[in-house]
Amino acid sequence: MHPEKQKNDFEPKIIAFVCTWCTYAGADLAGTSRMQYPANVRVLKFPCTGRIDPVFILKAFQQGADGVLVSGCHPGDCHYIAGNFHARRRFAAFRKLLEFIGVDLDRLQFSWVSAAEGGKWVEVVTDLTEKVRAMGPMAEFKELAMEEQWSGAINTSELKEAYEAI
Amino acid sequence: MTQPIDTSIYAAITEAIQAEAKRLLSEGQVSVVIGYAAGRRKGSVQPVVVSDAAIADKLIFTPASVNNLAVYLTKAKKEIPKSGKIGVVVKGCDLKALVGLMGESQLKREELYLIGVPCAGVLASTVQPDTVLTADTIASKCCECDAHLPTGCDFVPNVTLPTRPQLEWKYAAEIARLEALTPAERWSFWKEQFAKCIKCYACRQVCPFCFCEQCLCDRNKPQMVESTPRPAGNTAWHIVRAMHLAGRCAGCAECERVCPMDIPLNLLNRKMAKELKELYDYEASLEVNEKGPLTSYTDKDDQSFIK
Repeated sequence: MHPEKQKNDFEPKIIAFVCTWCTYAGADLAGTSRMQYPANVRVLKFPCTGRIDPVFILKAFQQGADGVLVSGCHPGDCHYIAGNFHARRRFAAFRKLLEFIGVDLDRLQFSWVSAAEGGKWVEVVTDLTEKVRAMGPMAEFKELAMEEQWSGAINTSELKEAYEAI
Repeated sequence: MTQPIDTSIYAAITEAIQAEAKRLLSEGQVSVVIGYAAGRRKGSVQPVVVSDAAIADKLIFTPASVNNLAVYLTKAKKEIPKSGKIGVVVKGCDLKALVGLMGESQLKREELYLIGVPCAGVLASTVQPDTVLTADTIASKCCECDAHLPTGCDFVPNVTLPTRPQLEWKYAAEIARLEALTPAERWSFWKEQFAKCIKCYACRQVCPFCFCEQCLCDRNKPQMVESTPRPAGNTAWHIVRAMHLAGRCAGCAECERVCPMDIPLNLLNRKMAKELKELYDYEASLEVNEKGPLTSYTDKDDQSFIK
């Protein structure tokens, strides 16, 4: 009944922040329509894209996400009138900041998926999963989390000289 | 030998500030005047709150008057009594911060008496306070300054600002250099910078726009930003700080000045200002705007990055 599951060396962890009114319903539609999409995505439901703070994305990466998807209602369809308009500006700015810090923006995807677009949800999730799978694990934030102490240069020439003098 | 910058008008400004403060305090027009006074170290300057006309001649203005006094007026800093009008000495960059605070309803214009200072530039944080102001010792923010003359103040000393030689735009050059690198190279640059952070939060304390009663980064249920000075928490803190200031930062560069570890914090703020200028044509200015770029929207905003 189910198609043969493909074995992969690396299964990326994708976190999806979705709004409850459009994308969550869209994902639900994909499920009730029995469409197949990668099981790598973990869906987190929010009232609105306007509720999704950029710090959530940061936290997701720090906790081991390899890719993040943020999805909500199409512009003009927001249940709260303007939540997604505000989110659009905020995420445009946040993308620029992450890019400047040195995060690969291919791991961060934004989309508008309405409650009727089960097919688009499948497409967006599949695309992101395959893209991130090809890129490999997100190492930067994980490596950072492993580092224990502040790593300011503690072997400068001055310090070495002082050590030698003891 | 680099070209010195003409600061001869600062003596006249000092006199004018003293006379005006004396008049305001003796007439009872203001309850206090917040300004600059000489510090204990030679040439150094520290903020002072003057409430008595007799000591108004403590007020000075020199190239070492670096502090942004707007920080003493925000809700979070309760040192200043909120009774009567408050006189405050402002440079152009400080005025931008005050105007930003007015836009965010933190201050009322009618409660302030603004003593504007025509400013040719102040010293960088890396030099001694008694250094002569030159193209090398001037603060980086002053090189890109577009608000030498404050506007809309109640009192501005009657002096003519000398013309200044064109200075190198250090932030713009550094941003361009970083943008040309690969993401991995940028990451290693910032990783090294943020690794220096000791989480003293001086950048937060000194910022006029960090006036939240409780900072998101201090909350532990849920803990969004790790509070220990480890690389992970440091990176998160600096990203959150830059994001919360995006579209609000007035560019006074106080965060960078007070940083004991010399992290180029204003670089992040300048980068965000540049992007918001490109995206939404917004710049910190001397006019009160009730809506910033990230608290307003249009239905035609760019969404090329959204699927």
